[in-house]
Amino acid sequence: MKKLTTRSFAALASLGLVAGALTAAPAQANTVTIKVVTPNYTDDMPAYYKDLNARFMAANPTIKVEHENLSWDDILVKGRTYISTKSYPDVLNLNTFSEFAAEGLLYKTSDLFTEAKLSDFVTAFRDNSKYNGVEYAVPDLASARMFFINKALFYGAGNTKIPTTWAEVTAASKKIKAKYGSKVYPLAIPLGSEEAQAEFQIWAGGNGGRYFDEAAGKWVINSKANLETLNQLKAWVKAGYTQPNPASTNRTDAFKLFSQGKVAMINASVFFPSTLKDYKSKVDYGVAPFPSANASKKPITLGVQDYFMAFKKTGNQDAVSKYLNFLFEGKNYAGFLKAAGGFIPATKSASTEVDSSLLPFIEQLPNAIFYPGTLGSWGTVVAKITTQIGTGITKDSKTVLDSLQKTAVAAGTK
Amino acid sequence: MLAKSTAAKSKKQVATHDVSLASALPWIGPALVLIALVVIWPVIELVRISFTDISAAGSLLDFNGLTNYRELLANPDIYPVARRTILWVFGIVFFTVILSLPTAQLINQNFPGRKYVRWALIFPWAASVVMTSMIWTWILDAYSGELNLTLTQLGLISEPVDWVNNPGSSFYFLMAVAVFVSIPFTSFVLLAGLQSIPNDIIEAASVDGASNWQIYRQIKFPLLRNALLIATIINLINVFNSFPIIWIMTRGGPGYDTDTTTTLAYKLAFIESNMGQSTALGVFNFIVIMMIVGLYLRVTKATRTEI
Repeated sequence: MKKLTTRSFAALASLGLVAGALTAAPAQANTVTIKVVTPNYTDDMPAYYKDLNARFMAANPTIKVEHENLSWDDILVKGRTYISTKSYPDVLNLNTFSEFAAEGLLYKTSDLFTEAKLSDFVTAFRDNSKYNGVEYAVPDLASARMFFINKALFYGAGNTKIPTTWAEVTAASKKIKAKYGSKVYPLAIPLGSEEAQAEFQIWAGGNGGRYFDEAAGKWVINSKANLETLNQLKAWVKAGYTQPNPASTNRTDAFKLFSQGKVAMINASVFFPSTLKDYKSKVDYGVAPFPSANASKKPITLGVQDYFMAFKKTGNQDAVSKYLNFLFEGKNYAGFLKAAGGFIPATKSASTEVDSSLLPFIEQLPNAIFYPGTLGSWGTVVAKITTQIGTGITKDSKTVLDSLQKTAVAAGTK
Repeated sequence: MLAKSTAAKSKKQVATHDVSLASALPWIGPALVLIALVVIWPVIELVRISFTDISAAGSLLDFNGLTNYRELLANPDIYPVARRTILWVFGIVFFTVILSLPTAQLINQNFPGRKYVRWALIFPWAASVVMTSMIWTWILDAYSGELNLTLTQLGLISEPVDWVNNPGSSFYFLMAVAVFVSIPFTSFVLLAGLQSIPNDIIEAASVDGASNWQIYRQIKFPLLRNALLIATIINLINVFNSFPIIWIMTRGGPGYDTDTTTTLAYKLAFIESNMGQSTALGVFNFIVIMMIVGLYLRVTKATRTEI
């Protein structure tokens, strides 16, 4: 029965295709087809785009949208394959833009949006969308990170105050471990290949550590501040305060452990509350600014933004401009944010009507540090940091940082 | 007279030869085109790209000679990965063969339900390796895996062990899964070998009073040689090229600690956007494969002339 239905469905579908091809043929002469490639922030994305694209095509009968929604893993690989085979998408939504801008593949945003529209984007995010001082991408959304605690575990172990320094993290971990033994990991440090670059940066940032020194224009991955940070993480792992094998723990794994009530403290992003809801987690959590190295260091948050960019192709400028402007229209953009699941909006107009759970994160934005995402070499460097930095937990930290520094220097500062 | 007839004969021979080549073309033509398109062309492209400068975004720039190769050889991470690849290939093939020999023996015996045992045995081979790897990932999962659950309930371990991610044991677990996946094919090749051994030789030996072990050691095993050689070499190729097990279970991580040259070539290209070194490594991998294929051709040729 199952087979029969599949087969008849296939037959119907192929009939439909033929019919579609027949009717579409005459109109094709002056129709522009644009290919839109987007990451699957959540499983609500395909439905959002289906509706958006249908309405867009209805309003613009001469533009045909081909949409491809990919998982993050796939889009990073497939996106690159598209570029290397020169089958550029027209519109791409990704976490990096600078290497494409460096090659002159992208439209300037001033070619796509009016200045009035551009000025609605949050200024800090716009500054992060520049390559050599020119904007080649627009921010689609952003995230900031804070320190999440499992209230029951944390206070249940006799802690009274959420840690603000590394020493207080150690003290709190000690109490939690003493109380719950091996049933609970006081601290989750996911340094697996999913998001190790972020996990390391947020801890290092609290010690004044960065990957790139903007003022001096040079890579500083093996700086003293970063080395101290890696050694501190190592010390927590050695003391048994973290989950085993941090270098192989992905962020998703750590989030799951927290949602099951097995982790007391964790660095998590602005969308974490909605993730916990998806996991049907019963954990009662608290949110606080991220602890810094010591009282003399300023607490920071790590701001991360993703981008929309459009590739230059003959005859597609008008279509991609219309498409992106349509997407950023009030109601459509609100739908985008909703489907993406709890991120910080990239436009000023959308920021005024956010969910109250986002407010603490938006408050942290003035303290945000960003990746050096405007460097053309950042894509290469971050890939290496992401896969390698976790090995500093079991190997010699200085060797690992030195080797990353070497890669970064070789990749250049352009 | 004699000379004339030889000349005529040789002319005729040449003509037949020409006709046979021309008449064969329509038959082998499509296959040749297919091979040229899906085998030879990609290889030429691979080699060409390996001599080209490639940007981080993936665009091909200029010809740059041996730079990609020099950079690859200067990359200190390559050497441990290359050593690990040797362990991966030979370790897995060795244990696969050692375990497949008795398995083939077992399924060659006549016993009730043999058909079902054979089905069960071939299943891991018929199933997608991606699926098998995912199932093993779940079995070995630290927090909710079946293995940890069972061992904890039996009281053998007090807290969950992170089998796959533990740097000490990780690579061996990957190898074990690869052996598990390789056994079915190897056993069936050996089974075919066993079935081709004429029964009368074995009967004659047992009439002469040879023990079971003597029959195996001195008759069956030597006659299995061809099947064993072919199974070994095909396994060498499969295991060297094996990608899904490692990629699904550890992604070659942490760092490069469970990478082989095959997964590293992918990681360099698509994760680290280092297409240049990746293509150079791809050419290296291709040469290794060609060497094993050459060995295979020699062995099969040798066994054919023997027969």
